[in-house]
Amino acid sequence: MVMKESLMDILCCPVDKHDLELTVDTKDDEEIIEGTLTCTECGEAYPIEDGIPNLLPPDMRDEAAA
Amino acid sequence: MGILENKARARLFYKYLSKVYDTINPFIWNDEMRDEAIAWLDIQPDDRVLDVGSGTGFATEGLLQHTDNVYCLDQSIHQMEKAFAKFGKHDKVKFHRGDAERLPFADDTFDHLWSSGSIEYWPNPIDALEEFRRVTKPGGRVLVVGPDYPNSVVMQKLADAIMLFYDENEADRMFETAGYTDFEHHIQQASPGSPKAITTVATVPAAAATDGVADAATDHATAGDSAAD
Repeated sequence: MVMKESLMDILCCPVDKHDLELTVDTKDDEEIIEGTLTCTECGEAYPIEDGIPNLLPPDMRDEAAA
Repeated sequence: MGILENKARARLFYKYLSKVYDTINPFIWNDEMRDEAIAWLDIQPDDRVLDVGSGTGFATEGLLQHTDNVYCLDQSIHQMEKAFAKFGKHDKVKFHRGDAERLPFADDTFDHLWSSGSIEYWPNPIDALEEFRRVTKPGGRVLVVGPDYPNSVVMQKLADAIMLFYDENEADRMFETAGYTDFEHHIQQASPGSPKAITTVATVPAAAATDGVADAATDHATAGDSAAD
């Protein structure tokens, strides 16, 4: 299933567990294809890439992209 | 905890291992063992289940026989691509990239949690077990499949050098430290002589039972009012 807005209820920032705010760049019906999840507390931004939220903490994100 | 305490090194090792994993894994962990273990979770049809370290989707496939509400989390996109091929990238399974030790899910999100073939790569397994307890509802079950400490000297040397292997005593220590009080271990083995798996099924205690856990007392541990939207 592609990332949907209804998932926002259960997702949180992996680092400080605060709520995330959704910014949608590309949408297909109610499914979010590209976008960003931003922590309302620490401001860290987590990308949604082709419908898959990348919620790796920032220190793991760059290396894991390899 | 061996040389994999460095996360970058762990990932490099894992990337290498993924190339041979599907070849060696059936001798250690097969679908009969998987299905036996999944039955211990006693999943009901509408239950929301998280598969941590879902990898190529071998366990996911078994979980989907019990519920359509399966969430997958893995750090490796390489592994996950094999799961996309099985279930579709944008179909019924909800995929997330993330770290087992720092889960991106709110407290009490899941009815049950499954993790197989993953704990041996975590630098700090107790942190991950605490996170499992946090995201699973009280009364829900957390099931972790890991490699039992091997008997052969060669495998012991390998185990001590690069991976986490543990016996029942060590599993007791890890789960108790992570705040579980009710759990049991099952030793599973594909055939005599093949490596054994140690499968732990733990019941998540009610919130009050976690009071004694030292580092659980962060602000997010108080589920309810502050987390409400």
